[in-house]
Amino acid sequence: MSSAGKVRISLIVKAGMTVLLLSGLVVAVWAGGASERTPVSEEAARIFDGQSGTIEIAGGTAHIPVVERAARQITTANPAVRVTVAGGGTGVGIESVGRGQVDIGSTGRAPTQAEIERYDLHPFRFALDGVTAIVHPSSPVRDLSTQELAAVFSGRIRDWSELGGEAGSIHVFTRDEGSATQSVFVSEALGGTSISAAANVVPSNGAMKAAVSRDPAAIGYVGIGYVDSEVRALSLEGVEPTQENAVDGRYPVVRGLYFNTSGEPSALVESFYRYLETEEGAELIRAAGYIPTGGR
Amino acid sequence: MERVVATLYAVAGIGAGLVGVALLVFLTAYSWPLVTQGHVGTVLSTTWNPNAGSFGIVPMILGSLTIAGGAVLIAFPAGLGICIFLNGVGPRWAARPLRAVVELMTGIPTVLYAFVAVFLLVPVLRNIAGGSGYSALSALLVVAVLITPTIVLTIDGRFEQLHGQLYLATVALGLTPAQRLAWVYLPAARNGLIAAMILGFGRAVGDTVIALMIAGNATHVPSSITGAVRTLTSHIALVLAADTQSGAYYSLFAAGLLLFLFVLLANIALRYIGSKERST
Amino acid sequence: MKWPNSMKKPTHMKRQAAGRIENIVLFGSWLSAGWIATVMAIFFGYVLINGAPTLGPRLIFGESNWIDVVLRGVPAWGGLYAAVVGTGTLVILTSLIAVPIGVAAGVYLACYARGRIKRFLSFAVDVLGGTPSIVMGLFGFGLITFLRATVFPDARTSLLLAAVCLTMLVLPYLISMTRMSLESLPLELRLSGPAMGLTTQQNVAKVLLPSARPGILSGVILAVGRAAEDTAVILLTGVVANAGLPRGLGDKFEALPFTIYYLAGEYRSAEELNTAFGAALILLSLTGGLYFYARRLKRRWRNST
Repeated sequence: MSSAGKVRISLIVKAGMTVLLLSGLVVAVWAGGASERTPVSEEAARIFDGQSGTIEIAGGTAHIPVVERAARQITTANPAVRVTVAGGGTGVGIESVGRGQVDIGSTGRAPTQAEIERYDLHPFRFALDGVTAIVHPSSPVRDLSTQELAAVFSGRIRDWSELGGEAGSIHVFTRDEGSATQSVFVSEALGGTSISAAANVVPSNGAMKAAVSRDPAAIGYVGIGYVDSEVRALSLEGVEPTQENAVDGRYPVVRGLYFNTSGEPSALVESFYRYLETEEGAELIRAAGYIPTGGR
Repeated sequence: MERVVATLYAVAGIGAGLVGVALLVFLTAYSWPLVTQGHVGTVLSTTWNPNAGSFGIVPMILGSLTIAGGAVLIAFPAGLGICIFLNGVGPRWAARPLRAVVELMTGIPTVLYAFVAVFLLVPVLRNIAGGSGYSALSALLVVAVLITPTIVLTIDGRFEQLHGQLYLATVALGLTPAQRLAWVYLPAARNGLIAAMILGFGRAVGDTVIALMIAGNATHVPSSITGAVRTLTSHIALVLAADTQSGAYYSLFAAGLLLFLFVLLANIALRYIGSKERST
Repeated sequence: MKWPNSMKKPTHMKRQAAGRIENIVLFGSWLSAGWIATVMAIFFGYVLINGAPTLGPRLIFGESNWIDVVLRGVPAWGGLYAAVVGTGTLVILTSLIAVPIGVAAGVYLACYARGRIKRFLSFAVDVLGGTPSIVMGLFGFGLITFLRATVFPDARTSLLLAAVCLTMLVLPYLISMTRMSLESLPLELRLSGPAMGLTTQQNVAKVLLPSARPGILSGVILAVGRAAEDTAVILLTGVVANAGLPRGLGDKFEALPFTIYYLAGEYRSAEELNTAFGAALILLSLTGGLYFYARRLKRRWRNST
C-alpha cells in the first residue's frame, strides 16, 4: 500500500473519531435533560427480594402486553430478575414448556387433560378474555349473527354487500392452527364451522389487529384486550363484546388466559404468580384489557 | 509443527464440507418417521389441517414455485437488461452509479424489503389488483427485486470474460454497443444466462421473510396470483408449534429436506453447465 | 472459441428485423435500468424519510436515562438498546466461531486439497452456500431437541445456538472469499516461496496469507453483514421480542432484524412504528457501511495485485 493511501486513511479515521465523540457529547447533553426514571414498585421489590434469575415465557400472544408490563415493574424493582417474552401461539406455549425449553408456557385456553398428563402441566389462570370479530373502523357493519360470521369465515359469503356494507370482496384474516384464540373463536363464535384455507394467516393477536386496522375490507378476530380505536369489534347476535359482558356470560365467546409450568412452579415463577395476584398485578392485567381472576 | 498446522487446515476444510453432509443426514433422519409411520401419503396431499391429521405440504411447494417462478420471470429479463445497460449501452454517468447500487443491493437486509413493502406495496396492490394485498403477487414482486443483483452479477461476470476475448473483434467489425451485446455477447453467454437463472431461482426459493410477511400464508392450493399463499420456508417458520410426536412436526423436516434437495440439484446443474463451459 | 451462429452475417432480408431486435434490446435495457433505479430510490427514500426523524437517544434508550442504561444495566424500556447490543453480540460471537474455521478451510482448499477431495469439498461448500437460511434455523431447532434427549437435558435455544447456526450460514462466504483471494494471487508470488525453500506452511503463513489479507478481510466483512441481517435463522434459535441484554451464552436475546419483523407485523402505537423505522434505518446504515468498507478493501486489493 502506498504511503499516500496510509495518510488518507489515518485522516479519515481521525475525522471519524472526532465526529463520533462530538455526536456522543451532543447526545449526552440532550439525553441528560430529557429522561425520567420509572418509579420503583414496592410490591415487586418485596416479592422478588433477594431473588435472581430469568423467567422465560413463550406461547399465547394475548399475554404479551401483561407480561411486558409486569417485566418492566419487576426488573426495575430488582434488576437481577429478568422476564423474557416470546409469542408463537398456545401450541408453542404447551410444546415448549412441555419440552422444557421455557419456564412458563402461556396458553389462551385451559390445557386439555391429555396435555396435562403428557407434560405434567400445572396451569395458573390469571385472567379472562373474550374473543371478538373485528373490522376496520370505517366499516358500516356493526353486528353479525353466528350464521353470518360462519359464512364469512368459511368463505361462503365473499362480498361486504351481502352484510350491508359497501360492495367489495371480504378479506378474511385468521390465525394458525396452534392458536387458542382461533380454536375458541371457531368453536364458540362460528359454531364449529372451520375457517377457509384461503384466508390470510397472521401469527399473533397483535399482528391480527395491525393487519385489520390497515385494510378497510378486512375481517379478523382478536382477544378483546387487543381492541382499541384502530379496529371495531363486532357485536355478536346483538351482544356487545365487552369484558363486562364476557364475565357476565352474556357474551358467549370467552376463554381463560393461563400460565403453565411443567411440574411444580419454581420459586421464581411462584413469585411471578404472587405478584400478578397483588392489587398492583391486577391493575396491570386490567390495563392490558383483561379481567383479572386472581389465582388458582 | 508443519504437520500439525496442515492437519488443522485439513480438519477445518473437511469439517466445513461435512457440515453440508450433516445437514442432509439430519434432515433425512428427522423426516424418516414419516416413512415408518406411513405418513408419506398425507404429506404429499393438498390439505394442511393438522388437527384432522392432514399434513399436506403440496400447497406450500406450489406456493414456493409460484413466487420463485414469477420472480425469475420478472427479474431475469430485467437483470439481463440491466447487465446490457452496464456493459456499453448505458452512458458512463448512469452505468457507474447503477453498478454500485446493484452491488450494494446484495447486502441489503431482506427484512427491510419486506418491511417497506408492507407499507408501500401491499396497500397499492390491494387497490389495483384486489384481494387483501397480502398475496403471491406482492411477494413475487419484492422477491424479484431481491434476486435481481444475483442475476445481474452472474451475467456480468460472464460478460466481463467475453469482453476480454471479443471486444476488439466487435469494434473492428464496426458494431454498435447494442449490436455487440445482442448478436455477440448474449449468444456467447448462454451458459452464464442459465446459471444466472438457476442461482436467481434458488435465492428466490430460499427467501423466508418476504413471503412470511407479505404473501398472506394461506394454506390452500394457490388459485389466483392475487390470493394469499404460503411457501415452504414460511411454513417452517410458522408451524414450529407442532407436537414433537406428530406428523405435522416431521413434515417440517420434510419441507426442509425438500428445500435442501432442491439446492443440491441446482448445484449439480450448475456444475454440469460449468463443465460444458470449460470444454468448449 | 466458437464463433456464435448468429454472427453468420445477416442478409438484406434479415437486416430490418435485426435492427428491430437491436432497438428492443436498447429499449429493454434502459427500461430495466430505469426500473431498478426507481425501485431502489423509492426504497432508500422511504426508509430515510421515515427513519431519520426518529433518530435520537430516545430511539436507542427509550424512556430510560442513557447513563443508567449503559453503566448500570437498567433496561431501555421502549428503546432499541437491547436489540442493538444483541445483534452486536451475535455478530461478534459468530465471527469468533466462523472466521478461524472459514479462513482455515479456505486455505486448505486453495493450498492443500487436491483432486477428488477438493472437488467434493468445493461442491459441498457451494451447496451449503445455497441452502436457505431457514433450513439452518430448523437444524438448530432440531439440534436442541436432540441434545435434550441425549447429553444436555437443559439445552435451550439461545445466543450460542444462534451463533452456531449463523456460522453455518456465513462459512461458505468466508471459505470462498479466502480461497479466491489466495488463488488469484500472481503465480510468481505463489511459487517464489517454495522456490526459496519455504515449506507449504511457511509459504502460506509468511507470504500468501499476508498478501491476500484485504481480500480475506472483505470476505469477513461480508460474512458479518450477512450474520447481522439474517432473520430466518434467529427466528428459530432463540430470538425473542423482549429479553433485555443477554447475560450469558445460554440466554435468549433481542436483535435488530427480528425487531423490525416483529414491529412491522404488530406495532401497537405510532411510537412503536417509529421505532421500527428507526431500527430499519440503523440496520440499513450498518449493512450499507459494511458494504462500502468491503468495497474499498477490494479496490485497494485489486490495485495492489
